[in-house]
Amino acid sequence: MSVDVFRKGGFDFSNARRNAFLEGKGMPLPKATSTGTTIVGCIYADGIVLGADTRATEGPIVADKNCEKIHYITDNIRCCGAGTAADTEYTTAMISSNMELHALSTGRQPRVATAMTMLKQYLFRYQGHVGAALVLGGVDPTGPQLFTIHPHGSVDKLPYVTMGSGSLAAMAVFETTWRAGMTREEAIQLVAAAISAGIFNDLGSGSNVDVCVITKDKTDMLRNYEMPNQRVEKERKYGFRRGTTAWKSESIRSLIASETVVPVAQLVTDEMDIS
Amino acid sequence: MQALKKGEVNLGTSIMAVQFADGVVIGADSRTTTGSYIANRVTDKLTCVHDRVYCCRSGSSADTQAIADIVHYYLQMYSQQYGTAPPVHAAAELFQKLCYENKDGLSAGIICAGWDKEVGPSVYNIPLGGGLFRQPWAIGGSGSTYVYGYCDATYQEGWNKEETIKFVKDTLALAMSRDGSSGGVIRMAVITEEGVERLFVPGTELPRFWEGKEVLGPHKPTHAADPMAIEVEA
Amino acid sequence: MTSIGTGYDLSASTYSPDGRIFQVEYAGKAVENSGTVIGLKVKDGVVLAVEKLVHSKLLVPEANRRIQTIDRHIGMATAGLLADGRHLANRARDEASNYRDLYRSPPTLQALADRVGLYVQAYTLYSSVRPFGISALLGAVDKSGPVLYVVEPSGVFYGYHGAAVGKGRQLAKTELEKLDLPNMTTRQAVFEAARIIHLVHDDAKDKEFELELTWIGAESNYQHAPVPKDLFAEADTKAKEALNEGMED
Repeated sequence: MSVDVFRKGGFDFSNARRNAFLEGKGMPLPKATSTGTTIVGCIYADGIVLGADTRATEGPIVADKNCEKIHYITDNIRCCGAGTAADTEYTTAMISSNMELHALSTGRQPRVATAMTMLKQYLFRYQGHVGAALVLGGVDPTGPQLFTIHPHGSVDKLPYVTMGSGSLAAMAVFETTWRAGMTREEAIQLVAAAISAGIFNDLGSGSNVDVCVITKDKTDMLRNYEMPNQRVEKERKYGFRRGTTAWKSESIRSLIASETVVPVAQLVTDEMDIS
Repeated sequence: MQALKKGEVNLGTSIMAVQFADGVVIGADSRTTTGSYIANRVTDKLTCVHDRVYCCRSGSSADTQAIADIVHYYLQMYSQQYGTAPPVHAAAELFQKLCYENKDGLSAGIICAGWDKEVGPSVYNIPLGGGLFRQPWAIGGSGSTYVYGYCDATYQEGWNKEETIKFVKDTLALAMSRDGSSGGVIRMAVITEEGVERLFVPGTELPRFWEGKEVLGPHKPTHAADPMAIEVEA
Repeated sequence: MTSIGTGYDLSASTYSPDGRIFQVEYAGKAVENSGTVIGLKVKDGVVLAVEKLVHSKLLVPEANRRIQTIDRHIGMATAGLLADGRHLANRARDEASNYRDLYRSPPTLQALADRVGLYVQAYTLYSSVRPFGISALLGAVDKSGPVLYVVEPSGVFYGYHGAAVGKGRQLAKTELEKLDLPNMTTRQAVFEAARIIHLVHDDAKDKEFELELTWIGAESNYQHAPVPKDLFAEADTKAKEALNEGMED
């Protein structure tokens, strides 16, 4: 029996058939980690405030209680990510890299619209298979800019935006209390309230509030701006008192391993001819 | 084909364009939906692809934005290369080409309209499969199905600008009131040789038509009792 | 030329110290020695005419045409190397069809001349190729009206009311300058074109020639076409008569 060196030409669809068969048998493809999330953004008088919760989930399990969802794009641009965690992380990192190169080659401060165009064209190319839902905000020479970008590559430009599973709760806050031309403090409070609405009313969102304030000449990342879910000291101690368990005999062993280290050089120098 | 991908942002829409002697009036509602959620209630579906050429977008938000971006690029190149503004039909042909050649992967219904110095005002309809039809007026999007009859019965040649604007505004208001996927505000634009004039009708000031009576039938409406306090157990 | 023999004329990718590219200039010589080609842009159309020198009596008359159709409304007449002219016409047809594919409308001559010019210029950049040994007259009636361009071996192109290249260009140009081209009809221009070609033909040096005449105007339904047989015969006869009258003077 000889090994078949030459294979028939054409595409091989056997894996697709196998996967369809397994799916039919009740074994679906593994799901990528999706971040049930609340992310928001809001324009105020002279800048942008972005907000995010800090819960990352894997199905019903909280994978990370204090993750970061506000990603760095450039000094004057940040991007909040919801959807598939790996995709938001990778996509924003890649665009950040390309924006740095773009700024270097143009010698200008990068624009938010540039990042928005790069992101939407990338996401459109992958026809929604890159599951990144983004809130992009920043301040550039044309002023404060705020966008949402959906996984299929559509873009909306609005004065206040929300995304992720908690977007409905957060939008309710914005729709009732947002006003044009708010001050920095008012905007931060509004964003924190919107994120809190997500944290407390959406199962996919939780833990702390991250806020990022971008103005013409400064970006402030207010990590864990609010921590409404701190674990408090237990009111009672649940440990057993010493001596609760009786014992019949006692033996104490040393668990400290001791080793003698002999450097290799010392062993070989005598025999080696290093001339 | 034509089926919206899962979780895709949809422009369940009412869009419209009508030509008149000096130009075209285009209009659209402002609703963008993902499933039953309104992702944007003040969307601008009237997209500029050149100084005097606009398109009204319906279908997938991502697809129509991407197409409009490509056409925008080509038309900018056109005016740079040939030193003149592109004619509306050149823009319409580009939309048609993209929509037809990628029909399996797109859901986009586009109306392209504008003014050029060769033929003056023109309106082109590019429906889902990638056809191309020049029409004096065109409607599109999910809301349009409710108002074909109204348009057929109402439209007349030789209207002036104000009459054409009223036709667009009334048609869109009727479509928005019947179509659940359309709504919000009415955005319009008047494109003439002189320029582009943007018009805006807030959701609170939409044209209103007959909206029913509280009680039907010949009887006098009975006065409903005022709400009053009732006792509640403490 | 002073720098001949210095080696600066061996390649299109080499400048001479005073900034000239001799290969391009030599290409110009190939054009200068060719039969005369003229173009007339008039009120409502364009006429192209060629003095096609016949080097053998065995050649089939009316074959090996020097004026070619690029698009329904565009004609191209070339002076210089015949094969280069045919190649460039082929390229121009591709460009015209490419424009049609993109914009679904007939190309303007400005757009076409621009693309043809770029193509010709590319042949002045590399040592591996030689520049085109032709000047191409492009005539059309497009949405901007009648247009006439000449693309030279360097790739530059100019718009003209009347143009002449080849052997008899000097005399042809003086004749063209005498005409009131912008107020002439295409039919009138056909007669003038025929007359000029006959006039500039040098019986002493070149024995035989064949007149080629094409037009684009209302009478040809704004399409590029050879001048109809009867009109051609009339113009040809009148041109010969005019020539004889001129000799009698």
